[in-house]
Amino acid sequence: MKRIGGFFGDSFYRFGSIVLFVLAWQTLCSTGLAPGTFVASPAVIAETLAKWAVNGFLARHGLISLSRALYGFLLAVAVGVPLGFLLGGWFKAAGRILDPLLKFLGQFNPFALFSVFMLIFGLGETSKVAMIFWVSLWPILHNASLGVRTVDPLFVKLARSLGLSRPRILWRIVVPSSAPYLFSGLRQASGTAFFMLIPAEMLGAARGLGWLIINAQINYQIPQLYAGTAIIVAIGLAIDALFRFLEGQVVRWREKAAV
Amino acid sequence: MDANETARGHPGEGARTLGAMGRRLMGWYGILGFLALWQLAPLLGLCDRRFIPPPSEIGAEALVLMGRGELFVHAATSAQRALLGLAAAVALALPLAALMSGFLPRLTRFLAPLVALLSGINPFALFPLFILLFGVGEKAKFAIIFWSSLFPILGAAINGIAGCDPLLLKAARSMGAKRAVVFLKVSVPAALPSIMVGLRLGATTAFLFLIAAEMLAANTGLGWLVHNSAMNNYIPRLYVGAVSIAAMGLALAFLIDRLEGFLLDYKEEVRAS
Repeated sequence: MKRIGGFFGDSFYRFGSIVLFVLAWQTLCSTGLAPGTFVASPAVIAETLAKWAVNGFLARHGLISLSRALYGFLLAVAVGVPLGFLLGGWFKAAGRILDPLLKFLGQFNPFALFSVFMLIFGLGETSKVAMIFWVSLWPILHNASLGVRTVDPLFVKLARSLGLSRPRILWRIVVPSSAPYLFSGLRQASGTAFFMLIPAEMLGAARGLGWLIINAQINYQIPQLYAGTAIIVAIGLAIDALFRFLEGQVVRWREKAAV
Repeated sequence: MDANETARGHPGEGARTLGAMGRRLMGWYGILGFLALWQLAPLLGLCDRRFIPPPSEIGAEALVLMGRGELFVHAATSAQRALLGLAAAVALALPLAALMSGFLPRLTRFLAPLVALLSGINPFALFPLFILLFGVGEKAKFAIIFWSSLFPILGAAINGIAGCDPLLLKAARSMGAKRAVVFLKVSVPAALPSIMVGLRLGATTAFLFLIAAEMLAANTGLGWLVHNSAMNNYIPRLYVGAVSIAAMGLALAFLIDRLEGFLLDYKEEVRAS
């Protein structure tokens, strides 16, 4: 009995406020306190989403957005991880010289650059992918180089004195030791990638979720606007949860060591 | 740093200062090299100067804009928007965090998932909504900055207060300090580092979104300057805007650094010793 009470108490604390929030929202809408011309109720949002899911609208725009984010992200991983390892581990002097420049570029407001990207790459897919690449590159690069720099030199020396080859040192020692940093970089980057994609699609696109909501706003389609916003929020939260889960799976040994 | 140097045993005072200078300049070599490469690239035919004008051209354009006072107007508008929204977010977040975690811990625990959910929302997804609700004027910009900086600051403040060492709280209480005194003298200073992290995050996000908001709907501000120049294919002015935005972002980061140094001077001492 006590366990059931504990379970209910737990889920009360975990979901209570969110359920209450949605209920309050719904009540405000159905009592007419929140005008339907401005606010769509959760029921209307759910209905719109269901309709979109059935007629394939959701899949079409969602997949375009996700594939843009994914391409940019993968490209950033492919460039950022090796470059970070090189700058952090092998060419330390170059890393020290380039560090301030890279920091500056990483802090450079990506929106200011988006116009430049559009100029160089045009209005098509390339400029969007370039933008995602740019914003997700910096956290990955920074964390990869930080991770390599924090590898205990004793381990590397030990491995070298035991006659391990360089690729094996990289794979058996450097990669596992820097994995926590690497993953935190990947998680940051994945969040930023999807974050930045939305405004990029708002500024210059004719498809995708960002376009969907800005178009709904321009055409004053309130249910569509709210439904699009809800799905973007849901995908963003899902990506974050996915990377947190992956981080927990891969970097499990560290958790144990910390305890 | 000092201990390291003596351990390595530099031969003399002169060599040490020279070494220190070299290390300090190290950071600039990369940036200077980058600028030099940028300046030379169009001459060497590595890029098209119509799309990537050299820094000298951008500097000349910046001087023209400054002379007309235009750059200053746009920068001031952006800075005003950013600081106003940020100040309002701080003014709401800090008392709210104090109230929630200091006096209503159960309510805080109850609301924590909702706060986490709201703070996980991409402020950009809400942008059309803000325009719908507040119009295209200053109010929408204020709302988006306020929203995007509120949650990082609120979350950090709550975490900071909750993460205070219980031993310190118990010690203060056992010495007969009143609740308010414990809160002001122990909890708040303990939470300050975390609050500063939140403030930094909030300010960065807010500035990012300000520029994008100005690009999407505004007729002043640095974001507008960049967007308008892009639309009119006026490339040097676009780069002037972009560089000004970067400079302003750095200035904002510097201000927060200074504030942190000022508020957390006790921490600095610990690190130095």
